[in-house]
Amino acid sequence: MTATAPLDRAPRARAAAPLARSGRWARVLRLEIRRSTVLWAIPLLAALFFFDTFRTADGFAPIWTVRSSVINTNMIEDFGPFAAGLAAWVGSREGRRRTGDLLTTTVRPAWVRHAAALGGTLFWLLLTFLLAVAALYVDTARQATWGGPPMWPVVVGVVEVTTFAVIGFAAGALVPGRFTAPLAAIATFLLAYVGFHAALQVRPGTPTYALLSPSTSVPLGDVGVFYHVAPDLAIAQVMFMGGICVALAGLLVLAPLFQVSYLRGFFSVAGRVSRWLCAAGVALLVAGVAAAATAFALTGTARLGVSGWDIPALHDAASDQPIPYTPDCAGTSFTVCLHPAFSPYLSSVATALQPVAAEVAGLPGAAVRAEQVTGGYGSVSLQGLRLPGASQVSDIAGTPPVYDFVSDNGLAPLWGTPAIAGGGFWQSGFQQEFLIAFAANPASFSQTAAQQAVITALMVAVGSPAPQFGEDMTNGQPTAGATPAQIAAAAQRFESLSPAARHAWLAANLPALRAGHITLAQLP
Amino acid sequence: MTTAEVRTPSATPAPSGPRSWRGAAGARLIWLHLRSRRVPTAVLTIAVCGGVLRAALHWNWTFHSGLLVQEVPMIIEAGAAAAVVVTTHSPFGEPERTAGRWLPYLRLGTTLLLTGLAIAVLELTVAGASLNGGILVLARNIIGFTGIGLLSSLVTGGLLAWVLPMGYVAFAEYALNEAWVSPWTWPVRPPADRGAWLCAGLAFAVGLAAFTARGARTRLSDNS
Amino acid sequence: MNIELSDLTRKFGRTTAVDRVTLDAEPGVLGLLGPNGAGKTSLLRMLATVLPPSSGTLRLLGRDPGAPAARKEIRRRLGYLPQNLGYYPSFTVVEFVEYFALLKEVPPHMVPKAVAAAVEKVDLGPKAKAKLRTLSGGMLRRVGIAQAIVNEPELLLFDEPTAGLDPEQRVAFRALIRGLGQTATVVVSTHLVEDVGAACTEVALMSDGRIVFRGTPAELTARGVGHGVGDAPLERGYTAVLAAARSAS
Repeated sequence: MTATAPLDRAPRARAAAPLARSGRWARVLRLEIRRSTVLWAIPLLAALFFFDTFRTADGFAPIWTVRSSVINTNMIEDFGPFAAGLAAWVGSREGRRRTGDLLTTTVRPAWVRHAAALGGTLFWLLLTFLLAVAALYVDTARQATWGGPPMWPVVVGVVEVTTFAVIGFAAGALVPGRFTAPLAAIATFLLAYVGFHAALQVRPGTPTYALLSPSTSVPLGDVGVFYHVAPDLAIAQVMFMGGICVALAGLLVLAPLFQVSYLRGFFSVAGRVSRWLCAAGVALLVAGVAAAATAFALTGTARLGVSGWDIPALHDAASDQPIPYTPDCAGTSFTVCLHPAFSPYLSSVATALQPVAAEVAGLPGAAVRAEQVTGGYGSVSLQGLRLPGASQVSDIAGTPPVYDFVSDNGLAPLWGTPAIAGGGFWQSGFQQEFLIAFAANPASFSQTAAQQAVITALMVAVGSPAPQFGEDMTNGQPTAGATPAQIAAAAQRFESLSPAARHAWLAANLPALRAGHITLAQLP
Repeated sequence: MTTAEVRTPSATPAPSGPRSWRGAAGARLIWLHLRSRRVPTAVLTIAVCGGVLRAALHWNWTFHSGLLVQEVPMIIEAGAAAAVVVTTHSPFGEPERTAGRWLPYLRLGTTLLLTGLAIAVLELTVAGASLNGGILVLARNIIGFTGIGLLSSLVTGGLLAWVLPMGYVAFAEYALNEAWVSPWTWPVRPPADRGAWLCAGLAFAVGLAAFTARGARTRLSDNS
Repeated sequence: MNIELSDLTRKFGRTTAVDRVTLDAEPGVLGLLGPNGAGKTSLLRMLATVLPPSSGTLRLLGRDPGAPAARKEIRRRLGYLPQNLGYYPSFTVVEFVEYFALLKEVPPHMVPKAVAAAVEKVDLGPKAKAKLRTLSGGMLRRVGIAQAIVNEPELLLFDEPTAGLDPEQRVAFRALIRGLGQTATVVVSTHLVEDVGAACTEVALMSDGRIVFRGTPAELTARGVGHGVGDAPLERGYTAVLAAARSAS
């Protein structure tokens, strides 16, 4: 070791100027970024993103709002636990490495070090997150035919990841034990999954607080296509999670107060934290709790509207106006029109509908064209859960009659990839929905035996496979009033008639058939 | 004492003491080893996981249907396994590795003890409740996740050995959504799936053998 | 005076670690000797503003560390090397020293130069970019010394600084602290009396939390003439003073 001449010292010059302070913090942050633990976890996050999020999104319809829904579901389930766990690991660093004493003797208070360490962790987490979102959006842009990338899911996702990281960091800093990091990861996993499914259970009339869940799905249906997605819920979620982050930041600022000297008690330790720092910590804690509580209360007033979940205090009525669009249409004798966002499905829908439309053309109430309309909002059943979904069903109405169908179209929803829509099963499902609207009551969950037989006969007549009708059993009795074998036999009889004979019979008996007054025996 | 006594070694080996002394010393060694690995806290952590699992079933966090019925218990089982694998970290480093022959046995015994305890504690806490797949799936998942964590500890060290099991949980969730049936999706396979048992058992056996022989990777100045 | 202690006491539960210590120190090198458990580390931690005293007065660099603003000023001028140095294995030598330079508010434009100078002073220039996990124990100790001196402190506190250093490095370290002691107050807590003899201008000997001797190394040596047990004159003085203190209590 050499004892060289000391460097020039000028105490006044070394008084921290604001610019010097920010430069200093930036350099500490740069150190933390360069040596962050998150770096080696990035390959794992990338693999999870590809296998889970990206592949899931790729199986959805190429619609921006549908594809972006994975950001707040699958991506949070992939990123959130690791954000919390790794941040807890970083937060516990001073305790694990026994650098507490040494760092206490430096000038900058603990919150500066914590901010730098957390900043370094968040840098890589959010960078990876945003790159993943970019990959998702680039892939969607290559397939989508209308609209643009929604930003609110990204904002909410960034805040979610940040919140999980802050929670984990605070837990690690306050409880620097070896079990803190894995427990933080597990708790986040559970919160993401359970919270998500709790949010899915919310429907009109039930408490809506669960919508604050870190993983809330975009309501099923065609929200964001016919109407803008209201940012109300996103704003409340950001406020809620931001409030948690701010409150935890306040807690970390006040953390030295909790290191009580057992002899001299709380107040003597309090004297070792500057008054303004105390005040700042308390202010952050109070502000954070207030923001989160406000968001919680606001979310309790959420109601389902045309643009998704609305929160009256945050709602802008202008977002309830429909988004203008020019439909994409195909066909001349029977025109099929879809919203341009669903253009990839146009040829499949037209191929499905034109034969059956021609089969019933000219009959009373037969549709002269088909047009996609917005589903509105109610609830549908999916995997045993009641979900917000389309309230309007596909139906034939108006003069001249038009077949209005929704994207959540029962047996043939416009959800999967267009390739699925090209399949025979999907196409026959679409035909079945059309014929149910024509020959039965589309609002009813079941059709009478005669209605099922007629629909089956008409589909077989155009070369489609016989459709499957679910047996609607009540009290152990088939309410269709006949066995599937009897219905199939009647359908075969009706289909074996000449087209003219079928046409004539339907022209005379359609009203009675639709009303459910025709029995199987009455079918020719 | 004179130097002559020091320079002339004793002709007979020093007596090792009665068997009771040796038993007491062995028990003392085991207890100190368990304490050094924070095993009491691990047991508490596992009990917390059991409580959470009980709460999940009681308050219907799994909604009684759908994928959550498998997903939620699997996450908690991974948590219990994580509590086991973070005890692989040794605060002593080299001095312990060179201090005699008992360390591999202590590692083996500790891991088997904690794994068995995790299975038993979680099973006790869900007694009477309806757990999808029952004790067999619970046991298989804890065994498999622990095996992955043990293997991971050789690279990441014990304190970060929970990361890979968590990653496997996330991967298994996706496999469940996609209804994959390969043996390496063992966390979400039915209890009677032999391939799944084979995979989970293999992961545990290989991880346990490697950890017993080599121990978790250690770093200086890491102590928690 | 850079250090002014008056009846300084520190208790942990029922144990009095530091018992009514009165001590003043100007620029120079003060050696702090004493057996294990004498209270050296506790005293050093109070001087480092890590621990508050239980009673008594403590002034460092003319300021009362009980006040947050004053404490900040003290820490800006303080260098501390604890007995057990924690570190971040993935940091390099330069990064670790830089980290502390920044936290000690060395002006940003002076940081690279200060860090380079500190690393050179401890002869770790060739290892500047090496990760800390690859260094030996002695090298880590030198990294600890580097972070303590990077901000050119006016008050330097070393707790067992030469632990793990080879004899050549110990000689160099003594020369370093002699140089530092020209302008700063350097307190070195150590068990190695030869370090004290070679580098310190004054010695304080602690026993059971109290200062039982304060003077120059020559005066301590003189106390051992004809009385103490040891292989070196300073050791004999050390044991003689301790024995006297124990018999008096």
